[in-house]
Amino acid sequence: MMTRTMLRTLFAAAACTAIAVGATAVSVRAQDAPKGDVARGKQIYMADGCFLCHGRVGQGGGYNAPVPPLAKTELPYEAVKMQLRTPSDDMPAYSSAVISDEQIADIYAYLQSLPGRRDPKSIAILNN
Amino acid sequence: MTKRRQTPEANRRNFLKSATLVGAAAVAAPVTARAQAAAPHAKPKAPPPGPRQIAVETQAPSIDPMYNQSTSGGDFMVDVLKTLDIDYLAINCASSFRGLHEAVLNHGNNTKPEIITCAHEEIAVHMGQGYAKMEGRPIAMACHGVVGLQHATMAMYNAWCDRVPIMVLGGNIMEANKRAPGAEWVHSGVDINSIVRDFTKWDDQPTTLQHFAESTVRAYKIATTPPMGPVMLSLDAELQENPIADAESLRIPKLARVVPPQGDAGALAEAAKLLVAAQNPLIICDRVARTPDGMAHLVELAETLQCAVLDLQGRMNFPSRHPLNQTFRRSVVLNQADVIIAMEVNDLWGTLNNFRDQIVRTSHPAIKPTTKTITLGVRDLYLKSNYQDFGRYQDVDLDIAGDAQASLPALIEAVKRQTDDGRKAAFAARGKKLADAHAQAVERAKSDATLGWDASPITTARMCAEVYAQIKDEDWSLVGNTIRNTWPHRLWDFKNPHQWNGVSGGAGVGYNAPASLGAALANKRHGRLTVTFNGDGDLMFVPQTLWTAAHHRIPILYVVHNNRAWHQEYMYLQAMAARHGRGIENTKIGTTITDPNVDYATVARGFGVHGEGPIVDPKDLAPALSRAVAAVKSGQPALVDVVTDQR
Repeated sequence: MMTRTMLRTLFAAAACTAIAVGATAVSVRAQDAPKGDVARGKQIYMADGCFLCHGRVGQGGGYNAPVPPLAKTELPYEAVKMQLRTPSDDMPAYSSAVISDEQIADIYAYLQSLPGRRDPKSIAILNN
Repeated sequence: MTKRRQTPEANRRNFLKSATLVGAAAVAAPVTARAQAAAPHAKPKAPPPGPRQIAVETQAPSIDPMYNQSTSGGDFMVDVLKTLDIDYLAINCASSFRGLHEAVLNHGNNTKPEIITCAHEEIAVHMGQGYAKMEGRPIAMACHGVVGLQHATMAMYNAWCDRVPIMVLGGNIMEANKRAPGAEWVHSGVDINSIVRDFTKWDDQPTTLQHFAESTVRAYKIATTPPMGPVMLSLDAELQENPIADAESLRIPKLARVVPPQGDAGALAEAAKLLVAAQNPLIICDRVARTPDGMAHLVELAETLQCAVLDLQGRMNFPSRHPLNQTFRRSVVLNQADVIIAMEVNDLWGTLNNFRDQIVRTSHPAIKPTTKTITLGVRDLYLKSNYQDFGRYQDVDLDIAGDAQASLPALIEAVKRQTDDGRKAAFAARGKKLADAHAQAVERAKSDATLGWDASPITTARMCAEVYAQIKDEDWSLVGNTIRNTWPHRLWDFKNPHQWNGVSGGAGVGYNAPASLGAALANKRHGRLTVTFNGDGDLMFVPQTLWTAAHHRIPILYVVHNNRAWHQEYMYLQAMAARHGRGIENTKIGTTITDPNVDYATVARGFGVHGEGPIVDPKDLAPALSRAVAAVKSGQPALVDVVTDQR
């Protein structure tokens, strides 16, 4: 079980420097996430405004500070849930009355379903 | 603007009219007689010239003081402006400065200054802000003294916060008995400058032409002396319009070259000692580079120390791809630093602390408690108390008052003097680590940019990458950006001093479109390709800027980052709703620009600007940008409306 501090560190690392954590351990955690519904997750992601800061396809953005990408996030489900309930930065908090644990699992499933990163070398204009 | 109304009331002119009426009639009579004599010879196809036309063509100019004058105060004012080498006078025409306006055109031949016609005073001032940052010297703007100045105020506040010089001239009619009833009363004031005094460096209301000459030269000197800022002169309409009574006594003062204040040599040596001894020194720069030399000096200091640079991008301070540029490793380099030198940083507290915008607002330092901080800059040499643009007070260890750019050569020399071979080896090792970290940050930026690459609405990363692909081989200049669009500085190779010129200063919306155009006006003479990213929310404040671009043939590429919202506020409203657990469904009300969606390409075409879009499919972006860049290279303004995701 990850501690709150560890989870917070994970999220802060993501916010500051994209993903800066051990990928293997994290992907194990991702598999541990409760099963969610992708379609429902997308609907909640849009309806509850996640897209406003994190982008419609989870590409990240900016609020009062840079907002981390979430597409195919390597953050564990528990870290995402903790950030939603008790955010470590300026992100609004979402209580269980607004977004249930089940809905968080749906959102998490949607994030995992997104295309994620490509190899920048495959896109010529990113190598100017 | 309401024009000054002619009334038959007994003002100065009517007094003169009464006094000269008989004489005028006497002069007219023989002219009429001659005209009648000439009439039988006139060809029947055209109406015969009237007595007035014949008089104009055959008589010496009238010396009737009721109708004619051979000099005016406005002419002298233009002569004063010419000595200051002011390129442009941006205006929205108004009767209270009609004397000056006419003099610029016909006495000054509409050159230095040349009139730039704007459809709002906010546009005129912001154009001056953009121009001054690009060209390194101010232009002037003129406005109606009351209502026009009220329009201009927000832009003047932006310029004040951004420490940019602008000469603002506001027409006024000072003597009550000279004002016609109606508009001239409601557009006059006892002290029109009062509404901008909190955010101008200096102002005056000259009462004589000699007073005008001295105050204008003084205003220019004050505006261009660091810390720079806008200045304001109230121009009496009578002073502009009346004949010059004492021409032989007028004198235009000499403008001396202003030498910016330099930091104390002893203090700079002390700063150098701290920087040389530091394990992880950090340079933070904001509005440092006033001229191309500024960037060269900063690079030399950073390379001498092989230290990290955090560029707050208030000016084109530091090359984006320089290995020591650690701007996108902000929290890491702040946390690692043991000595920080912050140069021309306005909000130092905000830079060195993390602030949480939650129900209970909290903060904690982003730096270690033992970190030594040095400031170098001129900000504190001129502050005012009402508007709070100076930010929260930050403890520092060494506070050096002096213009950073002017002080850099002495600081560099002091660093070099104190650096022995042992430190040089340590510096080199440090530089190597920083270069590796920079390279990783660049690769990470490219990887981040691939997220949602083919999505519609288009990601801002894709938009910026596509624009760069079109301009990278040109002599480009990015002169405006949207809120928190970091992609250009993460992906593009900024290496020349004219490739960036900072942001609004006061965060007043409506800056970007006209300030970018002002920068483009400066770039035009240098043959540069000017590009700006313009938020749709900003463009909605001053869309008529596009007409000025077309009217004056100013080449510029506007890329509209069209997220169909004032998106920062949209997110804030979401945060408010989330606090209450009320859902965000209603937060689009009052924050979004939809229903109907604005077609900015059509708007652009309506103003005479080449328009492309709306582009919703990323595959259509490159061809549209290519056509728009071709239009700009042919000398036209162009706009590409890109429907984007939020950020």
